[in-house]
Amino acid sequence: MSQNKNSETAPLLEVKGLRQHFAVSRKFTVKAVEDVSFYINPGETYGLVGESGSGKTTIGRSIIRLYDPTSGEIHFDGNDISGRMDKKTKDDLRVNMQMIFQDPMACLNPRQKVADIIAQGLDIHHRYQSQKERTEMVAEILHKVGLSAEHANRYPHQFSGGQRQRVGIARALVMNPKLIIADECISALDMSIQAQVVNLMKDIQDETGLAYLFIAHDLSMVKYISDRIGVLHLGHLLETGTTEEIFSHPVHPYTRSLISAIPNPNPVLEKSRVALQYDYKTSGLDYDAGTLHLIGGTHYVRGTDADLERWV
Amino acid sequence: MEKKEEVLRIENLHISFKTTAGTVKAVRGVNLTVNRGETVAIVGESGSGKSVSAKAVMGILAKNGVIDQGRVTLSYYRSPQEKVTREILEMKKEEIRRHVNGKRIAMVFQDPMTSLNPLIPVGRQIMEGMIWHYNTPKEEAQKKALELMELVGITDAEKRMKNYPHQLSGGMRQRIVIAIALACDPDLLICDEPTTALDVTIQSRILELIQKIQKERDLSVIYITHDLGVVAKVADRVNVMYAGKIVETGTVNDVFYDPRHPYTWGLLSAMPDLGTNDERLYTIPGSPPNLLHEVTGDAFAPRNKYALKIDSRLEPPMFRISDTHQAATWLLHPDAPHVELPPELRDRIERMKKEAGYHESE
Ligand SMILES: Nc1ncnc2c1ncn2[C@@H]1O[C@H](COP(=O)(O)OP(=O)(O)O)[C@@H](O)[C@H]1O
Ligand SMILES: Nc1ncnc2c1ncn2[C@@H]1O[C@H](COP(=O)(O)OP(=O)(O)O)[C@@H](O)[C@H]1O
Ligand SMILES: [Mg+2]
Ligand SMILES: [Mg+2]
Repeated sequence: MSQNKNSETAPLLEVKGLRQHFAVSRKFTVKAVEDVSFYINPGETYGLVGESGSGKTTIGRSIIRLYDPTSGEIHFDGNDISGRMDKKTKDDLRVNMQMIFQDPMACLNPRQKVADIIAQGLDIHHRYQSQKERTEMVAEILHKVGLSAEHANRYPHQFSGGQRQRVGIARALVMNPKLIIADECISALDMSIQAQVVNLMKDIQDETGLAYLFIAHDLSMVKYISDRIGVLHLGHLLETGTTEEIFSHPVHPYTRSLISAIPNPNPVLEKSRVALQYDYKTSGLDYDAGTLHLIGGTHYVRGTDADLERWV
Repeated sequence: MEKKEEVLRIENLHISFKTTAGTVKAVRGVNLTVNRGETVAIVGESGSGKSVSAKAVMGILAKNGVIDQGRVTLSYYRSPQEKVTREILEMKKEEIRRHVNGKRIAMVFQDPMTSLNPLIPVGRQIMEGMIWHYNTPKEEAQKKALELMELVGITDAEKRMKNYPHQLSGGMRQRIVIAIALACDPDLLICDEPTTALDVTIQSRILELIQKIQKERDLSVIYITHDLGVVAKVADRVNVMYAGKIVETGTVNDVFYDPRHPYTWGLLSAMPDLGTNDERLYTIPGSPPNLLHEVTGDAFAPRNKYALKIDSRLEPPMFRISDTHQAATWLLHPDAPHVELPPELRDRIERMKKEAGYHESE
């Protein structure tokens, strides 16, 4: 996919033809990510959606370079980060790109106080002159995510799920990054708490102008936070476009099944509605045979010419 | 209207937990009935006491849990002529395991792995209940297990019977758990967030599956969830739970088209609305109370912008709205000031009713 023509600025992140394969044994390779391309502009939110096992986490981890991509290019903030990086590029990446995870408990060290969890990046990258400054930076970031300075001396288990997720956000945010990869960071929370965290993330974005790669397995919250959306299935990016394009004219049958799976809180209608089903095995589709087709605007769909004929 | 036959009745249930930090009053006077063949939803934020209430009914409360008060009555037929009524809270744990748990009432939990034994093939696990509760001969149990696996939509059932849980996907495991739950033809199925851990597309299939089986078997279902979209899909009646109490109860149409409790308003408003292009999601301010501390007055008052003075002193009783609809808020007291539904929610409900062609009288 080419660059966004509407946008004057260069994308903050550009992923081109990313493949990430894992050799599980000598004979068997998992093709977790196949030929995935997308971009994220500065200050924008890109929602990446797909069922579990579709390759979302792998894409996140490839981009932040926890993996060496099998092939493809990743450009971030003007640097090529897909291959070997020099020390400066690597340091910039570790500061400017941060990740928040689904299960905050699994990544927060239970024996570490919240202050130390949050300041970890600051410690590594020597971002303060004195202990006093460190304490102030932690207090400020806690305040920003809706917690208070007194939370700094507590341990993760003393927090509710929603509060822990705020700690995770604070830890990423304290580095003042340009991109945060949020990997299912609200999936485990109650609806009402999900809404709080999504609103918080939007407020922070308005204030700091950072960009998000927002990874989720369903579309209902993604609609609220994303400017553009990518739909992923079995490692392939099947459809991408603005939130409006995806929700108003979903083209790929998988995208349509995801939208149809969102329950409608209207009991009379919902009782009789049967969600659209989609099964790759019986769909007759071959993702490998498809290519990305432009539907209009920034809206692309993967399929063969014959598939596209049927869908549009 | 057809005659309603009660399967389960919970009356004034109080449960607390002894912890090192003190006593947690987790359930504070729950009342609930379930009729044959109907689906009753319990909806509320996490920590409101949904799972604990269900576990008390199953006789599987944690060791530090105490039932301070209450009655749980289960009615079923031993044979088509012989109706039996049992007081579950007066039964011994062993007796519950033998006669109720898995046989009359079965439960499906959020994480299928907590219900499955990783070391036993899944087919065998479906058969176990029948053999233990009914002495079903092995061959017959095997045949029934196969039918159940087909019923819950597992293809290649014969082959899958020999699989261990880890060889199946999450959605498939939850189907197995549902098959186990149905194996002894229970009267009541309790589903505690059965699809929360599953992918959305699989979630809707599992919900549709439970609905289909329920119709076929005249099964009663208690459905526990924090997701009102799921409630709209499955429930006949809804109980909204907050801080250990049911604060609003009614038919699904009562609660969605004519909600009366400010907490229900909050929950409904916080649902993502795909019909609008709102930039912001509504959220209920604050968080639920810590039940380590005694609650005085209305537990929801600190988060409720419509709270009255009396709310800080006195807990509201259930006020009757109609034969089917009740809510525990002082706003329903005849002397209370008139409070309008928040305008965004009113508009949304009007839009929903119009889309559904719903009129009050229905
Ligand atoms: N380190 C790894 N080794 C082998 N297979 C992996 C590894 N990481 C992920 N996979 C596989 O890649 C696929 C995509 O996984 P993942 O990116 O975690 O999906 P998602 O985050 O969408 O649930 C899955 O089939 C998964 O089993
Ligand atoms: N074994 C236990 N010991 C102490 N507190 C408990 C125990 N089990 C549950 N609780 C508390 O009881 C309350 C209700 O829990 P639960 O019924 O699990 O909520 P939910 O509505 O999310 O299912 C919570 O505050 C929880 O912390
Ligand atoms: Mg993942
Ligand atoms: Mg629960």
